[in-house]
Amino acid sequence: MTAPPITTVKTVVDAIEHGGPGIKVFTLVDPDRWELPPFKPGAHIDLHLPGGLVRTYSLCNDPGDGTRYVIAVKREAGGRGGSMALHDKIVTGDVIGVSLPRGGFDADENIRRYVFVAGGIGVTPYLSIAAYLSRIGHPDFTVHAVARDRMPLECLLAPLIEQERIVLHRTSKTGRPDIGALLGQAASGTAAGCCGPEGMILDFERATADWPGDRVHVERFVAPRLAVDPGARPYTIALARSGAELPVRAGQSMLAALQEFGIAVPTSCCGGICGACKVGWLEGRPVHRDRVLSPYERQRYLMVCVAGADSGRLVLDL
Amino acid sequence: MLDRPVADPATAPAKSAWTGFVRFLHITPRAFLPMRSVPTVTLMAGKGIEGDRYMIGREEGFYSHKPEEGRQVTLFELETLVALKRDARIELGPAEHRRNVTVEGVPLNHLVDRRFWLGETLLEATRLSIPCRHIEEITGKAIFDPLINRSGLNCRILKGGVVKVGDVVRNDT
Repeated sequence: MTAPPITTVKTVVDAIEHGGPGIKVFTLVDPDRWELPPFKPGAHIDLHLPGGLVRTYSLCNDPGDGTRYVIAVKREAGGRGGSMALHDKIVTGDVIGVSLPRGGFDADENIRRYVFVAGGIGVTPYLSIAAYLSRIGHPDFTVHAVARDRMPLECLLAPLIEQERIVLHRTSKTGRPDIGALLGQAASGTAAGCCGPEGMILDFERATADWPGDRVHVERFVAPRLAVDPGARPYTIALARSGAELPVRAGQSMLAALQEFGIAVPTSCCGGICGACKVGWLEGRPVHRDRVLSPYERQRYLMVCVAGADSGRLVLDL
Repeated sequence: MLDRPVADPATAPAKSAWTGFVRFLHITPRAFLPMRSVPTVTLMAGKGIEGDRYMIGREEGFYSHKPEEGRQVTLFELETLVALKRDARIELGPAEHRRNVTVEGVPLNHLVDRRFWLGETLLEATRLSIPCRHIEEITGKAIFDPLINRSGLNCRILKGGVVKVGDVVRNDT
């Protein structure tokens, strides 16, 4: 019998550690401790969990650590089930398929100062970035970690606190920090990032509204809800490789239409932030609603989970 | 029209006009994982390379769901890596093309259906390798088009043995 295609990186749960209240830190390794596919600082991976769940988590170890993927997961009882599956079902020794790492941070020698703002468990991507910047000896970077009281992942933060790279803000004692004041003035050679709850991100986006776009980066916990478009119209998707055509109802997502038709597209966040469902488009006028593609990429690709069409017919490279 | 060489391969004088060398050896145990550079590999006749994902019976490669008896070991020309840099300005390392053996001075595209020696092992070339998007996905480098018609060679192992970096590659005369 022919084996099914291998579509994920095979990993084994090597360790599960306590990362603070409601948080577990999972270390994933290759079964033979082989090197894992490399990743950039701040990159994320999809975990393919029992029950068909696919969930995205930031890697929080140094990319120089080539044999481990470390993720920190907060149990969200009201979430979509991924964190509960990890907390309640996964044990050391379990096999988990993961995607190739995506996204992350490209080192830029023109950046002289980095400043990051993280809310709660949103500190995870900056653990990876800070470990990288520390290792390469970058002289000026700061992570502002904001939490109500007890800081999550204190065990992972400790080395960076010792290096005075992390400033802790406990809102129960000092109130919410002024994000604009933490960031300082926009200056050439300064880059900023934020990962946290939506309110914090909105504050961050207001504070950096005048900054050059390529100097600002935002990571979201969950995809923002798309506004319902009262003027949404139906359109047709044409699949260039099979020649099939399928209708997309007014207000229906392109992804849902493809899935109804039996077209399997890898997905994860379903909100235009993770990059899993990138598909090429060939003709028509797509409406891009993602938060991940660059203007250049949008000339060739779209994210089927959130994209729409401003033309009656859109041809996809599927 | 030309479905076989014009000259009889058994008597063509150019048959042994080349001698090449093994420059790099790489294996990996599973799909997606980085290839690891090793000084020697052990080829098992009729099976594959010890520890590699495409060893027959192991079946842990990205294309293992498409079994191929003639894909026991794969080769790639060092000259192609030089050409990629020269012509397409793409730096691709010998660990990135995901073939097992990087050779220099061996006209791989001429060897389909021929037998040749890789160190002490005897191989039979079964077909040209073809480029794949999988390598683009892993490397993030747009190498699909530049590798068309020069993506290496698939071979079956007729006589096994240990192959070392620096070994001679020669025709089976």
